[in-house]
Amino acid sequence: MSIMQHNGGSVIAMVGKDCVAIASDLRLGVQSLSITSDFEKIFPVTDRLFVGLPGLATDVTTLREQFRYRVNMYTIKEEREIEPQTFAQLVSSTLYERRFGPYFIEPVMAGMQKTPAGGYAPFIAATDLIGCLNFAKDFVVAGTASEKLFGVAEGLWEPDLEAEDLFETISQTLLNALDRDAFSGWGAVVHVITKDKVITRKLKGRMD
Amino acid sequence: METAFALTGKGYVLLAADTTAVHSIIKVKTDVDKIKELSPCLLMAYSGEPGDTVQFAEYIERNIRLYHIRNNFPLRPPSAASWIRRSLADSLRSRKPYSVNLLLGGYDTSTYMPHLYWMDYFGTLAEVPFAAHGYGSYFTLSLLDKYHDPEATVEEGIATLKRCIDEVSKRLVVSPARFKVKIVDKDGVREIEL
Amino acid sequence: MASIGGGGAYSYSLTVFSPSGKLVQIEHALAAVSSGTTSLGIKASNGIVIATERKSSSILIDDSVVEKVAVICPNIGIVYSGMGPDFRVLVTRARKSAQAYWKIHGDYPPTKILTQEIANIMQQATHSGGVRPYGVSLLVAGWDFNRGPTLYQVDPSGSFWAWKASAIGKNMVNAKTFLEKRYNDDISLEDAIHTALLTLKEGFEGQMTEKTIEIGVITVPTQEELEAGKIEGTGRFKPTFRKLTEEEIRDYLAL
Repeated sequence: MSIMQHNGGSVIAMVGKDCVAIASDLRLGVQSLSITSDFEKIFPVTDRLFVGLPGLATDVTTLREQFRYRVNMYTIKEEREIEPQTFAQLVSSTLYERRFGPYFIEPVMAGMQKTPAGGYAPFIAATDLIGCLNFAKDFVVAGTASEKLFGVAEGLWEPDLEAEDLFETISQTLLNALDRDAFSGWGAVVHVITKDKVITRKLKGRMD
Repeated sequence: METAFALTGKGYVLLAADTTAVHSIIKVKTDVDKIKELSPCLLMAYSGEPGDTVQFAEYIERNIRLYHIRNNFPLRPPSAASWIRRSLADSLRSRKPYSVNLLLGGYDTSTYMPHLYWMDYFGTLAEVPFAAHGYGSYFTLSLLDKYHDPEATVEEGIATLKRCIDEVSKRLVVSPARFKVKIVDKDGVREIEL
Repeated sequence: MASIGGGGAYSYSLTVFSPSGKLVQIEHALAAVSSGTTSLGIKASNGIVIATERKSSSILIDDSVVEKVAVICPNIGIVYSGMGPDFRVLVTRARKSAQAYWKIHGDYPPTKILTQEIANIMQQATHSGGVRPYGVSLLVAGWDFNRGPTLYQVDPSGSFWAWKASAIGKNMVNAKTFLEKRYNDDISLEDAIHTALLTLKEGFEGQMTEKTIEIGVITVPTQEELEAGKIEGTGRFKPTFRKLTEEEIRDYLAL
């Protein structure tokens, strides 16, 4: 079996009206054996940007630490917070640095991007394990349940969902996809990001 | 066959590891201590490739000790876990990685909290209420799912631990003869005779 | 003790302090800058102008290839006073640095970051063995989303400051006095270009023509341009720094 399936786990991000959402399961396993049901793979980057790191669990921790280091250095050097677009580039270049011995992670990002007019626009992106960026306008998925997530999201997502409706949509999409994936599940976490606040909720789902 | 497991209770962590050294189909030793005392309130059970295990465990032991000497204060369990994880993760992408799986049990004297970490040779780190490595994990994890209580007293914890040991002895094809059990709490680490 | 110049025994080794606490070689580098041609920069409300005189030592030199105002990346340009070859090296390093930043962040560096990068290179030359300091002072003009238009001066020591207007080189003292009299905070870019020409004219040797000066400008993008984002076709943002053509300079001189 592929090393990408070794620990299991999935992440999804969606665009709404003046908001974005990112969600993941909480399982950590070794092949078919589950180890823990509180392994978070989504991390805050700034007050309005999150990154999800599904894939090999050791690289989840390593990359999380790597990104935290690089973003901290950026913040100090540039005397400003990193924008989602710039962070996506940083993720891409960090992964491509290891082109011939990659981290087995397919990052997903969701945040609110500053616009020239002074407002904020929804931003989501995902990359493969060597940093090829995919900027989507609707939703992005990654992890062991990605095929199922694509299917359910394709059916449930619609444009311009308000924050609460987006929460419902992303939660149902994730939960229903997880139920068809043996390597993901054991609870989930959802973050809904608007320009001035983040709502984080833990979901129970099927705990088998 | 090599098995190690651990569980947390009210203010303590219990670790158990088998004591056999195996070479091919032969038991060479039956009194091996596979749980290192890293610092006054930190225990580490290790298993994996013979040779790698002791080599890596001693490297960790000496460096944790060095930190203690330099700073007059031991590395706290979460920091120690993070540092050991990094050592394994770096090793994984080196020419010859260490194949060592670990259980790290510690008592944080600053927050008065027991901590248990499950770690494998990939450098995967997870903080857990109970954990196991090796073939024994397939029996003990389900037992612990049913019987583990984070608020259990030491006596209750040991009782649960005994259930696990008995189950492994009963069901595992080549079951270990003896288990060494250690505990870490506010008073430090000590061995427990079952 | 053999004594050349003013530094005595301390003037040879760059990395040894003199008893008075000075690194004499750095002072010599500043002297090299002060004997270089005058350059200046003025920050306006809607842009920045940097300008310099371009003098040839002989009429036989083909000065169409001489470049004293250099584009570093689409949003940053620099000009220098002092030693030409040292400037060329710094321009190469700065351009590489800007591209390296682009490769990581997908954007060109803010002016301050690029200036720090150049200043670091210049500072390293003041405490490394076997090298001499760069014999140039620079004026760095740039625009970025974060800080808008900014003008920096970098000296051979590696120190840098932000200016509203500054001058470096042979005529810097007079030029600065002139700028102090002329400057005000809500000057427009057009006015700033004229002020720059007037300042250069003070103490200019020979005829000031489109062949004997160089000008670069930062134009602050309008809200519409920012919202339009990347230009269709090229897929890039409109550059904010550009050098004025000889025709444009001629038109400004004619006014």
